[in-house]
Amino acid sequence: MIENDDFLERLRTDARLLRFEPDAAMSTRIAARVRERIAAEAQAGIAQVLARWFRPVVVSLATLAVVAALGVQWVDRPGDPSTVTLDSQTSMQSVDISLGGDTFSVD
Amino acid sequence: MDTTSMFGGAVAGSLALDRLVFAAEKAPTRSATNEDPIEARAIAAVKGGDAAAYEYLVSKYTKRLVSIAWGIVRNPADAEDLAQDAFVKAFEHISRFKTGEPFGPWIYRIVTNLALDVMKHRKRFRHEEITDQAPGERRDRADLPALANELAERIDRGIEALPEMQRIVARLYLVDEFGHSEIAKMLGLSEGTVRSHLSLARSKLKQNLADLHGGSND
Repeated sequence: MIENDDFLERLRTDARLLRFEPDAAMSTRIAARVRERIAAEAQAGIAQVLARWFRPVVVSLATLAVVAALGVQWVDRPGDPSTVTLDSQTSMQSVDISLGGDTFSVD
Repeated sequence: MDTTSMFGGAVAGSLALDRLVFAAEKAPTRSATNEDPIEARAIAAVKGGDAAAYEYLVSKYTKRLVSIAWGIVRNPADAEDLAQDAFVKAFEHISRFKTGEPFGPWIYRIVTNLALDVMKHRKRFRHEEITDQAPGERRDRADLPALANELAERIDRGIEALPEMQRIVARLYLVDEFGHSEIAKMLGLSEGTVRSHLSLARSKLKQNLADLHGGSND
């Protein structure tokens, strides 16, 4: 086991040469692209924050507008015949009564 | 290039969190303190909205990230993209990073998992560009000047001939010189599993490289 560990340690020393080293151009490119992408993320982030705040406000305002429009429409509606009561209906119509062959009309 | 005010809102990042980032946060840390005061200050500044401070972290970890990614995907262009992706992902989730802890293990884990995802993708869609070549030749030799060294080339070939997880563990241990627990965290494996992969890799390497590093008859 110790021999094996020695083997790995020796291998480790030699394998260090296999480490991939990016050149200066690659490092610069990575830094520049990360910067660029972070800036783009930031723009998207700001838009998301704004959307998060404004979306509920817009929804609330829209709901209020719909309720207000429906309310105004209900108040301004013409008289609805279906809402006439039995009393008012009978008072508007005459009642015919036949008695002994004669017909009498009662308003 | 002061992008401070511009980047302030980005720290919160996207809500689509990466499972690996979460896992990295939950993983117990061996060294719980950040020994680089400049790094600690840079992280605090980035968390506070100073995106320009992130430059320090990028410059400090670029080489290591590219090396880790390259060791897994064996392609310099992919390694470069993966390093970028890892930095951006880490930036997006920096608010979840625990202040005072070293940044290295966290971002190493991110890049490792991104690289493993690339490997899975390659397998699934058979996009391995050079599958008809022997495993040991799966790279552009110009990418690795050190391979002019015959010894290093033999070792590289030996590592590349290993099964995938043994290869990744062996490379992280031998080439990038990570410890068992660090590799375990990076790959989301138990330390025992890492030791097991490494032990198997060691046996095979010992057979293949017997003439270089002593006998293989033990």
